[in-house]
Amino acid sequence: MKIGLEIHRQIESHKLFCKCPSVLREDKPEFSIKRVLRAVSSELREEDLVAKHEMEKQRYAVYEGYDSTCLVELDESPPEHLNQEALMAVLEVAQLLHCEILDELFVMRKQVLDYSNTSGFQRTVLVARNGYVEVKGKKISINTLCLEEDAARKIMEHKDHVVYRLDRLGIPLIEITTKPEMTSALEAKEVAAYLGMVLKSTGKFKSGLGTIRQDVNVSVEGGSRVEIKGVQDLRSMDKIIEGEAQRQLQIVREKGKMKEEVRMVQEDLSTKFLRPMPGAARMYVETDVPVFKISKELLKNIKKPVLLSEKVQELEKKYQLHTEIAKELVEEHLALFEELVLKFHHPELIAKTLVLTLRDLKSRLHLSVEKLRKQDFEEVFSYVTKGNIDQDAVPHVLSDKLRGNFDLKKYEKVNEKDLEFFVRNLIKEKGSLNDGALMGIIMKEYQGKVNGKKVMEILKKVRG
Amino acid sequence: MKAGDLVQVFTHNEVIQGRLMSSEAHRVVIKLSSGYNLSFDKNKVKSIKVVEVFKENKKEPHHVKEKKDLKTVMILHTGGTIASEVSYETGGTIPKYTPEELLHKFPELASVVNVKSRLVRNMWSEDMNFKHYNLIAKEIVKDIKNVDGIIVTHGTDTLGYTAAALSFILEGLEKPVLLVGSQRSSDRGSSDAGFNLLCATKFIAESDFGEVGICMHETMEDNTCLVMPACKTRKLHSSRRDAFKVVNGKAFARVTPETITFLRKDYGRVGKGVVKLKLFKPVKVGWLKAHPEMFSEEIKRYSSFDGLLLEGYGIAGNFPINKIDALTVENEKIYQALRVLAKKIPVVATTQTIFGRVNMNVYSTGRKMQDIGILGNYCDMLPETAFIKLAWLLSNFPKDVRNLMSENLRGEISKRVTSEFL
Repeated sequence: MKIGLEIHRQIESHKLFCKCPSVLREDKPEFSIKRVLRAVSSELREEDLVAKHEMEKQRYAVYEGYDSTCLVELDESPPEHLNQEALMAVLEVAQLLHCEILDELFVMRKQVLDYSNTSGFQRTVLVARNGYVEVKGKKISINTLCLEEDAARKIMEHKDHVVYRLDRLGIPLIEITTKPEMTSALEAKEVAAYLGMVLKSTGKFKSGLGTIRQDVNVSVEGGSRVEIKGVQDLRSMDKIIEGEAQRQLQIVREKGKMKEEVRMVQEDLSTKFLRPMPGAARMYVETDVPVFKISKELLKNIKKPVLLSEKVQELEKKYQLHTEIAKELVEEHLALFEELVLKFHHPELIAKTLVLTLRDLKSRLHLSVEKLRKQDFEEVFSYVTKGNIDQDAVPHVLSDKLRGNFDLKKYEKVNEKDLEFFVRNLIKEKGSLNDGALMGIIMKEYQGKVNGKKVMEILKKVRG
Repeated sequence: MKAGDLVQVFTHNEVIQGRLMSSEAHRVVIKLSSGYNLSFDKNKVKSIKVVEVFKENKKEPHHVKEKKDLKTVMILHTGGTIASEVSYETGGTIPKYTPEELLHKFPELASVVNVKSRLVRNMWSEDMNFKHYNLIAKEIVKDIKNVDGIIVTHGTDTLGYTAAALSFILEGLEKPVLLVGSQRSSDRGSSDAGFNLLCATKFIAESDFGEVGICMHETMEDNTCLVMPACKTRKLHSSRRDAFKVVNGKAFARVTPETITFLRKDYGRVGKGVVKLKLFKPVKVGWLKAHPEMFSEEIKRYSSFDGLLLEGYGIAGNFPINKIDALTVENEKIYQALRVLAKKIPVVATTQTIFGRVNMNVYSTGRKMQDIGILGNYCDMLPETAFIKLAWLLSNFPKDVRNLMSENLRGEISKRVTSEFL
């Protein structure tokens, strides 16, 4: 089995060819517009099978829009400048994936006639090629890195027309295409996860459902290349690949050969025919945007971010953190962690708090830990550094803060001499009680302000 | 080695195969099998080998048998985005389609009318001049007797000017002549060209309309087209499909591929009248827009012209002609220059406001402009139409310009300006 990946992820920026914000809207659309598309031949005038197939399905589309979309999404105005912020994000990834960056970029029109683009094409730019990643000691080639426009969002499909929303149309996407060099479903999943980590390392990509789409190319021995679209969740990727491989093997066994095609993932993780495989005839030059030259100055300005995987190793070593804790810190709280350590030291305490304490407060006490702000953590750790509270009190303070009943007095450290004085008096009065009963009275009196071990020490000392 | 050839590009570390797109002094561009174009610095290319010479896959001309029960429309093609394609050489969009390709592209036209088609010119509309108006008019007259109507496909930039010019040239026209353009070039799936053409053919085939009109999208949707008056329609948006709007008036009809709804009754009907060509002659007409900080030299430079159109401010098409303090000395010179010019050649005032009628009686500036013989009072002509009309009058009725300028000849001046606005 040969597997190749095509990973799409939204870039955190405004739209690719206009300044509209990249926001999805669930409120009622402000207008809707009816449009009809027709197939056009490309520069080379070869008929495009895919275009024809898509044309036959729907007669027209209705596009829904808002004040957060403009004439560019409506195909009523030509594209504006190529979004430089989005381009820089792709160039950073190009560096991390050891790609050759092209010195002239062409914006191409990829003909798409399922109405998901108002123009009848998706704009896409080949930015870099011939890179590689190394995952578990094996080199996997990166074929191309492209910068693309996201398509409009399908809202409803009717018998003869389809309704799309313009909010998603034009959001910048990176497309990473690997060569078909993975040989098992598990390996494909590992490479996809690695590429996800690379994107995250730049801090320039959106995360969450809908912001990432993975297409998988699968071909079994004696079969043909099949592209599977719509693999949303990495966790189910291996199951989808296994299922597709089985399907292909069965066809090869029964019919001896099979067609190249594009298929779509279904809810039960099986795949369904979507359209024939597109060819080169589908692409032609976007004449409304000039060729973009990548200058030597621009190349010099591309940052090369530290990979998150390297950052994990760095934290492990520097602070002697457990791998799992370091990993979660890097993935979820890196900026906050580094800032807090810089201000308050106590790296181990801060790491444990951000990872283990928050996890505990959430799962055991069902508290909404995401409500905690940077200022809350700063306050708590400043009490620790100033000696106002004991390290052990940090989880209690945070839970009190979340419940809205935090009072510092409750946690102030008790003077050891005061405590000893209290214990002596108590023994004078109720010396007949056993240690356990006395402990109970003392702990109740000091309500978590004293350490139990310390109380027992004092009790023993006084009793002699 | 030419565009379209399958080639192999040899660089220091790889051999890349693709279709040659262009090869210039410093760069070579190929199209990869994935469809992407890839550009190389020629200094980094060791050699290029042709693997397979490109053979153009010539399409069979689209022959459609004439149907006796259908009317016949002649499509005269002048270029512009309604029939354009991408150029191999430059990557730019150039008007290129032959009339056969037009039919191949819009096969549905054949079920509405019998289509005849001829190429008049392949040009950007911004390059047109009066000689092209004459040329197009002559081409129309060649066919008008034998067909039920004419469609002139035209770039949108100056489509309004050509429409006005044709309506003046084609005196006695009693057949439909529709100008049709597109705001999205036909090299894309979303082009409005097909819809505009379809509505225009439908309108010619199934209505009694018999004058010059413009048929374009009514809204941003592919829902309806409007047939608009040749002399009162202006391109009011640089990019939208519904860029053409009627100014100081109403469209004649709303058309869809299924229906025709007339919005006015005062249109020219189809008849048997014979067109008398009243062509443009070589005349020089200038056009001057009022602006702050004007100089009298700007006016004087038109002394060798045959006529001048003014596009002034506000209700009278006002120009800065009043000296009111030490800072406005130049204005008096402007007034003097206009006085000298208006004695020599017809000078016509229109307004930058686009909408509304010119009335030169309301303020003293307008009255002063009338005093020195500037024409245009009571007219609600678009500056573009007034310009075409002035040149046409100078060509055909040079002694009567002053009278005819404010007389309605082709629907360019409204009797009543009603409430239609943006």
